[in-house]
Amino acid sequence: MIESRESLGITFEKATKVYPGTSAPALDGLDMTIEAGELVCLVGPSGGGKTTALMLINRLIDLSSGDIRIGGTSINDLGPIELRRKIGYAIQQTGLFPHMTVGENIGVVPRILGWDRARIRERAHELLELVGLSPADRWVRRYPGQLSGGQQQRVGIARALAADPPVMLMDEPFGALDPITRTTVQDEFLAIHRAVGKTTVFVTHDIDEAIKMGDKIAVLKPGGLLAQFGTPAELLTAPADDFVESFLGDERGLKRLALFTLADVASSEAPGTTPPWPRLPESTTVRAALSAAMAERAGGVLATRGDDVVGLAPLDALVHPDLPEAVA
Amino acid sequence: MSGFAPAGDPVIPDYGDVSQCVANNDLFCADWFAAQWPEVFQPALLEHILMTVLAIAIGFVISFLAAVLAYRKRWLTAPIGVTATILYTLPPLALFQLLVPLTGLTLLTVEIALVCFTLVILFRAVLSGLTGVPEDVKRSARGMGMDQGQILRRIELPLAIPSIISGLRIATVLTVSIATIAAFVVDSGLGSPILKAISSPFNTQFIGAGALAVLLAFALDALLTLLGKALTPWTKARS
Repeated sequence: MIESRESLGITFEKATKVYPGTSAPALDGLDMTIEAGELVCLVGPSGGGKTTALMLINRLIDLSSGDIRIGGTSINDLGPIELRRKIGYAIQQTGLFPHMTVGENIGVVPRILGWDRARIRERAHELLELVGLSPADRWVRRYPGQLSGGQQQRVGIARALAADPPVMLMDEPFGALDPITRTTVQDEFLAIHRAVGKTTVFVTHDIDEAIKMGDKIAVLKPGGLLAQFGTPAELLTAPADDFVESFLGDERGLKRLALFTLADVASSEAPGTTPPWPRLPESTTVRAALSAAMAERAGGVLATRGDDVVGLAPLDALVHPDLPEAVA
Repeated sequence: MSGFAPAGDPVIPDYGDVSQCVANNDLFCADWFAAQWPEVFQPALLEHILMTVLAIAIGFVISFLAAVLAYRKRWLTAPIGVTATILYTLPPLALFQLLVPLTGLTLLTVEIALVCFTLVILFRAVLSGLTGVPEDVKRSARGMGMDQGQILRRIELPLAIPSIISGLRIATVLTVSIATIAAFVVDSGLGSPILKAISSPFNTQFIGAGALAVLLAFALDALLTLLGKALTPWTKARS
């Protein structure tokens, strides 16, 4: 089952981990179903068990009780080594092997799976192009120490994708990057995720990153309890409890605006005269558009496609993106 | 009876002509050194290299296996470390004294002593190289499905090379130096001309042999440094 090249769903069934020598569980009876192809972010404070949950999936640590199924098969029905070779794994940039070139790093899993050299080289080139390190020939023979943090992270993603695993696990992969590089790599990874459609479990402590990246977000609270599991919109609109609400922060209403783009809110009727508002691409988030309008002290923004203005988004539409009629 | 030279007519051995330098016993007489090179110094140098390389090679194999074992079974680290340290603190001459009744005045006695002195340095170098591999790197390797042997061979040992090489350099320089004392046991190595020069203090003899030992230490050290660089191309590749 797990051999298939499509992505597979992951089901946690009362997954519990108690570390030896401690009485309180690090992860307490987690029940959660991740659909095939979904990108799910695990967020929560330190001690919430998010990294524990991730490491349970590829058996870097073993369950105390409960079960985890990947595509219906219990992870305990496979040897840990065999299981891990079928799961992509990426952690902070230091996880790259410093003594191996970029090409060798990407080729690690294919090599232990016994692929021939030509196929490994071809795969490394293909993946480097996919993660935006192009032309690949310029990068394959470099060492991680010769790359910037963002480039190392792209290699880390390429390495995790190398053997075309049905499931990807990522543990704070962008944690060590500066904010600008981080945004770029996030955007690239989302594009890759859309292209390859791997079921991805993504651990982060950054709620904004989770809102941006996740199809769904699982919020874990101290004691390893699942506080809420839902789409970013569900969390932001209806936090399940005080913990989730405080974790989302007091700008919850503003963060929700980041879930919409100008294309969602701009009125398509092109008026005779366009007001002198800031012009932004229609893919801009409503949150960023509102910020731009406020910075310019304008009554709204203009949505553009290429050089053309395709719609108007007055402040009211920006502030209440999902209630356009109520505003008028 | 008649074969003896008559008293009062002593025979003075004829040592041939000597240079002014040798007659004055100056610090270093290049002519004498050059004349003695093929007979005395070259063989001594080669024997010294052999003693050193043999001791380092054996010491490295033992230390390497002990370190890998201690890395896997952490509780073994202290007992192995203490044993190696005790062997290291024994005075070399006392160790020779202890071994001669068992192994005689042989190269074996010398090698046992020399190996004992390398162990603590090499054991610690290999072990600290292995334990110094970043935790994230090991977690990545495990998470990607490498087994213990693959992680050791492909990840941990290569990353331990810089530490292993620096241990080898210290142990080698130390062994070149200690191996001169081997002359107390066997008439071999650069210690032999030095020891003989103590009873008949001819400067060129011990200065020449001593200088060769120093140069040998430098040369082996440089060689190991080059070897280390060749084995770790990633350390110099920084853009």
